[in-house]
Amino acid sequence: MPLDLSRYCIPWTPLRRKLLDATVMLVSTAGIYHPPDPPFDVEGDLSYRRIPSSVTAAELRYADAHYPHDCVDADLNCVFPIDRLTNLVREERIGGVTEFHFSTGFTMALRDLRDQTVPVLVAEVVQQRPDAVVLTGG
Amino acid sequence: MQGISTVLVTVESQESMQARPPRALAPRGYGAGHSFVRPNDVALQCRILSDALELIEHPPEPGTLVIRDYS
Repeated sequence: MPLDLSRYCIPWTPLRRKLLDATVMLVSTAGIYHPPDPPFDVEGDLSYRRIPSSVTAAELRYADAHYPHDCVDADLNCVFPIDRLTNLVREERIGGVTEFHFSTGFTMALRDLRDQTVPVLVAEVVQQRPDAVVLTGG
Repeated sequence: MQGISTVLVTVESQESMQARPPRALAPRGYGAGHSFVRPNDVALQCRILSDALELIEHPPEPGTLVIRDYS
């Protein structure tokens, strides 16, 4: 079900500054969470989780039953490259990262996701004032 | 100006492009769970992430899916 906003046009926002000055955020649908936050219900979940950018992939978990896990079982960066963003900050290729990244879990209730979850999540994303967001799935 | 610059990294490009993302990068030949291709390959995962961010800084036409080889 395409989102209403993108039915007739492609949303387009240029980057406001150079990448090396930009603050970057991850937003994923891969079911990532940071214990002791609770895992997602893998059969369907409309909630989302805040992921502190100060943690490493080894401190994170996934709750999912809908994509193969061979890669994430070895390295969560396969779907949520939080450590790789840190690498890019260290190499001064990006300016920094937001205090929090975000993840949703699996759901087929796309209308509810759009109407209930996304507005709240977007408000939280905006609060973090990212210049750029990298979106990933499972 | 409203909005935030985004780029999607996807291994399910057919499904993803239905949502008409402004910019998308797809590693060729990899399936679900492998958006950043291989576990613990730091250099390769950083390259994919850099390539994705490059699409934000130097964007192609809106709605473009860029497919790259990362073998």
